[in-house]
Amino acid sequence: MKINKFIPIHCMLIGLIIIFAPIAKCQDINERIKSLEEMLKKQQETIQKQQEIITQLQEELKQIKKQAAGTPVMTEEERPSYISGTLFGASSAYNPNISLILDTFGYSSSLKKDELEHWNIPGFTSEGIDHQEGLNIHAAELYLFAPVDPFFNLYATIPVTQEGVELEEAYLITTNLPAGLQAKIGKFKTGFGRLNSQHAHVWNFVDQPLVYRAFIGHEGINEKGIQLTWLPALPIYTQFGIEALQGENEVLFGNDATTGLHAFGAFIKSSIDVGPYGTILFGPSIVTGKTKTDSIEKDHVFSGDSTLVGFEFTYKWKPSRWKSFALQSEYMYRTQKGKLQDINTLDVQNLKRSQDGLYLQTNYQTGRWGFGARYDLLEPFNDTYKLDGTNISFGDKPWRASAMVEFNPSEFSKIRLQYNYDKSSRDGRTNNEWYLQFIGGVGAHAAHTF
Amino acid sequence: MKRNFLTVLIAGMVLLVFSSGLHAKINVVATLPWIADIAKQIGKDNIAVTTLVKASQDPHYVEAKPSLIIAARKTDILMYNGLDLEIGYLPVIIESSKNPNIQPGKIGNLDCSRFITPIEKPSSVDRSMGDVHPLGNPHYHFSPSNILKVAQGITETLVTIDPSNESYYRKNYQDFYSKWQEKMKQWKGANLAGKKFVAYHTVFSYLAKEFNFQIVGCIEAKPGIPPSSGDIQKIIDTINKTKPSAILANVYSPKKAIDFVAEKTNLKVILMPHDVGSLPGTDDWFSFMDKVIALLSEV
Repeated sequence: MKINKFIPIHCMLIGLIIIFAPIAKCQDINERIKSLEEMLKKQQETIQKQQEIITQLQEELKQIKKQAAGTPVMTEEERPSYISGTLFGASSAYNPNISLILDTFGYSSSLKKDELEHWNIPGFTSEGIDHQEGLNIHAAELYLFAPVDPFFNLYATIPVTQEGVELEEAYLITTNLPAGLQAKIGKFKTGFGRLNSQHAHVWNFVDQPLVYRAFIGHEGINEKGIQLTWLPALPIYTQFGIEALQGENEVLFGNDATTGLHAFGAFIKSSIDVGPYGTILFGPSIVTGKTKTDSIEKDHVFSGDSTLVGFEFTYKWKPSRWKSFALQSEYMYRTQKGKLQDINTLDVQNLKRSQDGLYLQTNYQTGRWGFGARYDLLEPFNDTYKLDGTNISFGDKPWRASAMVEFNPSEFSKIRLQYNYDKSSRDGRTNNEWYLQFIGGVGAHAAHTF
Repeated sequence: MKRNFLTVLIAGMVLLVFSSGLHAKINVVATLPWIADIAKQIGKDNIAVTTLVKASQDPHYVEAKPSLIIAARKTDILMYNGLDLEIGYLPVIIESSKNPNIQPGKIGNLDCSRFITPIEKPSSVDRSMGDVHPLGNPHYHFSPSNILKVAQGITETLVTIDPSNESYYRKNYQDFYSKWQEKMKQWKGANLAGKKFVAYHTVFSYLAKEFNFQIVGCIEAKPGIPPSSGDIQKIIDTINKTKPSAILANVYSPKKAIDFVAEKTNLKVILMPHDVGSLPGTDDWFSFMDKVIALLSEV
């Protein structure tokens, strides 16, 4: 009976276990589900929050893209495909800077065509004036420039004239030499004087001064050669330069004088500022070499040695873009010694000539208008022209006076009217000249030197 | 006696060499006054700064005078505005300076526009539109957010060139940044939003964008070319239609055209500083911006 007593209890216990076990289990599952639900909720919240952040970021990105529209920043898919898609790749990105400057002028003279062709300067040059009455194209000048590599920049000036294409300048210039040194190699306008190294379209007058015409010729000293300049780190700008040149200038040297480099030059240019807006630039130059030229007298060839010495002075006052005043002068002294041969009779005479010349010009600019005046004089102090020891006189001292007015519609164009009262023929005759010049430049913006 | 003299001489020379070595400052040439000022605020006593363009000058049109070339001759860093603002003279200065430190591609050639995002970049240009800047509007120094990036860029450049003073430059930048934050709050409080102005040249575009006001037109219709009578009539019509608060001029803007428009439209002309130091009370970039915001808030 003892056993019987226990059976119901056991049964009850078992029943209880049977009944309650699943309930306990259910309770456990419920809790887990609850926690899972909570987790899910939390996750949903996070997702929602993240979604909000994503849309916000998308909005911001849109804004940024909008702001960046038109800027060089491009996303991967916006990048143009030609970089890899064309035969020559992206090499056009390395094209040099290009600009083209048209320099054209109308010309009128009181002289006849025939007189103009023989409008030489006796004792200096036998070359006349080759402008035509009416319209002339001086040149459409093509400029190309760009860095070659981290060591050189390259510049080329290629004027296209009605006679054809010319290589006026083409040179490399170093950018990485130490101690303020710089070398120029190729064909270039040399460092002699002030106007010589400038291109014609930046001159303050249509034509070059008489001293240039008499001693250097219309092409300037523009030579194949090597130039070395040195700018020491001084408080005041002083540049030293030396040049070894081929010596092809037809007035001063001449290609046939001898073989090899046969002209040498040197110059010093100093500059100081005067007051807040004023600048003075000054310095001497020299160029010397072997000469063979037919430019002195008609049907005569000169062979010998030439030395040209110059001194330049420029004062410029420029308080703003719209106002400036400039005073500029160059003095030149040229000596030549050698033999002058008549190409018909083959007679030879000893020629020794020491002559000088100068010009003084002033320019004033207000707004888009510019005004200028220039005075030229040859033989102010020296007029030696000795043939076999006898000094020859050619008459009056050659001189000329010029007046100029110009209008610059923009930085890139110019209209200029110039009048010359020219007494350079030394025989009392006058050449009354009028120029109406138009200059326009397109393409890359070339920086201007002082 | 002779020996004494020699000893003193040598000692003096050694001292000179050492002292110059100890106080060797980083030489900085900045084209514009505002760039010089940011450089000074980051470099402080460690750098010596020379400025090429005067505050009274129009930075578009400066001549490559020899004095500017010699200033660049020995400098360690050349900092410039970029976006072709200085295209008319800077290439000549860089090449003629014969200074390898500042040639393009070198660390000492610092184009500050590298750090900013330009606006108003034209999709196509030719000069019949005037001298438009093809890389975008270059007058970003009116934009505080851009100036902060430039200050950061200058800091990084100074750190690269002079790593021994890294912490000094970074601390100065932090100071600059704190002051910038403080000033920004002040400037944003000026509430220029919605205002309208007329300018002579497109100098204020970044400012207008950042402070939500509007430049309804420019008297100089084509950049770099004085306005024609047609251009002036057009801007007068625009003014009559849009009713801006004032005309904004710079010290170098031509007075005649501005005064004419002002007279015809009864608008006030505000002479705005265009750079640090161009008007009294604009001695550094912060006071320059103070003045700019104050002048615009007045009307």
